[in-house]
Amino acid sequence: MKKRILLLLRFVLILATIVMMTYSKRGLHIASPGYLVALAYFISNIIFYFIPESKFSRPIITFAIFLTDVVAISLAIYFTQGMQTDFYLIYFLIIFIASVGQDLRGSIPIAVVASILYGWLLLRANPGISILDSAILIRIPFIFIVSIISSYWSTEIRRELMEKKELENFARRLEEEIARMTADESDLKSYSNTVINSVASGVIAVGNDGVITTINPEAARVLGSSQAELTGKNIKDTPGLEALWTKMQQVIDTKTPIERLQISIKDTSNNTLPIGLSASPMSSSNSNISGCVAILRDLSDIKALEEKLRHAERLSYLGKMASWVAHEIRNPLTAIDGFSQLLAKTRDQEKIQAFSVEIHRGTKRINHIIDDILTFARTRTHIKAVDIDLRQLITQITENLGNVRIFINGDANTAIKGEEESLKSLFNNLIHNSIDAMDKDPVLTIKFYNTDQWLVTELTDNGKGISEENMKKLFTPFFTTKSRGTGLGLAIVKKIADDHGGRLEIESEEGKGTTCRVYLPSEEK
Amino acid sequence: MKKRILVCDDEEPIRLLLTESLHDIYDIVEASNGKDALSLALKEHFDLVIMDIKMPQVHGLEAIERIREQNKRIPIIIISAYRPMEDDIIVKTSNIAAFMTKPIDITGMRAKIFELIGE
Repeated sequence: MKKRILLLLRFVLILATIVMMTYSKRGLHIASPGYLVALAYFISNIIFYFIPESKFSRPIITFAIFLTDVVAISLAIYFTQGMQTDFYLIYFLIIFIASVGQDLRGSIPIAVVASILYGWLLLRANPGISILDSAILIRIPFIFIVSIISSYWSTEIRRELMEKKELENFARRLEEEIARMTADESDLKSYSNTVINSVASGVIAVGNDGVITTINPEAARVLGSSQAELTGKNIKDTPGLEALWTKMQQVIDTKTPIERLQISIKDTSNNTLPIGLSASPMSSSNSNISGCVAILRDLSDIKALEEKLRHAERLSYLGKMASWVAHEIRNPLTAIDGFSQLLAKTRDQEKIQAFSVEIHRGTKRINHIIDDILTFARTRTHIKAVDIDLRQLITQITENLGNVRIFINGDANTAIKGEEESLKSLFNNLIHNSIDAMDKDPVLTIKFYNTDQWLVTELTDNGKGISEENMKKLFTPFFTTKSRGTGLGLAIVKKIADDHGGRLEIESEEGKGTTCRVYLPSEEK
Repeated sequence: MKKRILVCDDEEPIRLLLTESLHDIYDIVEASNGKDALSLALKEHFDLVIMDIKMPQVHGLEAIERIREQNKRIPIIIISAYRPMEDDIIVKTSNIAAFMTKPIDITGMRAKIFELIGE
């Protein structure tokens, strides 16, 4: 119970006591013992007023206050002989006040003290009173009943109040927590926005329906628009981005990311742009796919650089080619020219025959060189594919290769689609490279095998191998280690493999031999 | 006794052509690479050397320099599919008698050899 309320109630109690004393049989006269009791009682309230709030609620102080009340009231009754009147009712008031704000442990002792003092006063007023007298049998238990009920009632109220207070505290803490989490979420959002917006690559996220949920400035720039304009727009309805949506939809449908794919899109000005694309599916909290996030890279600059590089390479090749052509063509030309000069001066039939053969050889050689140049310089990548059995083609090439032992292994399906002349040229080059590299006991093993999508032709020789230094220059046009090589062989081989959608692998160990693997796409079934 | 000429070219038709063009007057010895030419030139006597430049193993210019270390006076004719200016400096310092670009004029070459060593 609060100090202010308690002292106010006590003040009322003191006033009631004084009023009852005044109207008692004896009345209240100045300097009478009753008067002194009333005065002391009044002063006690003032003294209690000065007890600090913090100490006021201590059980011992509360007990002292109510003990003072009981004793003061008992003395007031004693000095005014109030036991014959209803003065005793004031005990119930004290018990009530003492019980409110205390549990049973606090109120019962007061009730006990009050009962003893009341009993004592009763005995003094009626010395021969029976224990069965209603004044004892009813009133004393009543004192306890009032004490218990009021204590219980006040405890209940206090508990309810506390529960209410706790609930209020809980609600307040909850509100604070929500406010903090909202602030955190907003910080996180702003942080991730800053990160996404600062990325040098384009970032674009769409929902399953194709609506753009997030787009950073770089992605907007690449697509030739602004963030504000594109956010919320459906990518499906944006002209030029069909290829982008197709790929993103594929990621959503297959739940599989794609990496470093190159696609073409059209920006708002209808310019075709080469775009590097990586995309991943986005999962929602219930692990369903909620959309797709893509990283875009504008490849225009890289493409332009590549084109410049290719141009420079072409020029460099052109220079090398000019020099190579001079050397390669002038030698057979020298033979043709020289032998035709000699031809004009001789009558010897045998010589005429021999010189003619040399002239023919020189012509053939020049023709071969021109073929190589044309194959190498050919820019078309489309091939006129026909059905070819690669095993048969290679068996034909390897017939009559002199002292080279050739083994053709593998029971793979060797049917492919390709350009016969080109593939002949490819394997001719590789096989003759191997033959040229082998000295003693030359053995060439050719093995066919199928993988998921490839027919692999593996050629292994026991030749001198390729040095690490030369490995780096293997596909450089006009690079050769042979005295009579054109330096175009492997460049042509690689080009033919590329044109067929295949690839070439070369492994070599100097002094031990070389293995070439030609991967060509298996024929579709 | 015929004068001896060392012909060095990695191209077999060229060697045959030079032999056929010169063997009526001179004794021709063929080498198919710079290394063989060098060992022949250092071992045997020749009156003239005809040397190609781009060859395997030992490059023609290297072979010429090595021959010059042994024999300062022997006339050397270079025959090359390249133009002379590409290797101008070496040609000048190595005291080359003639530089002939392929294809070769047979008559012109015979005249030049005759001018250098006679018959």
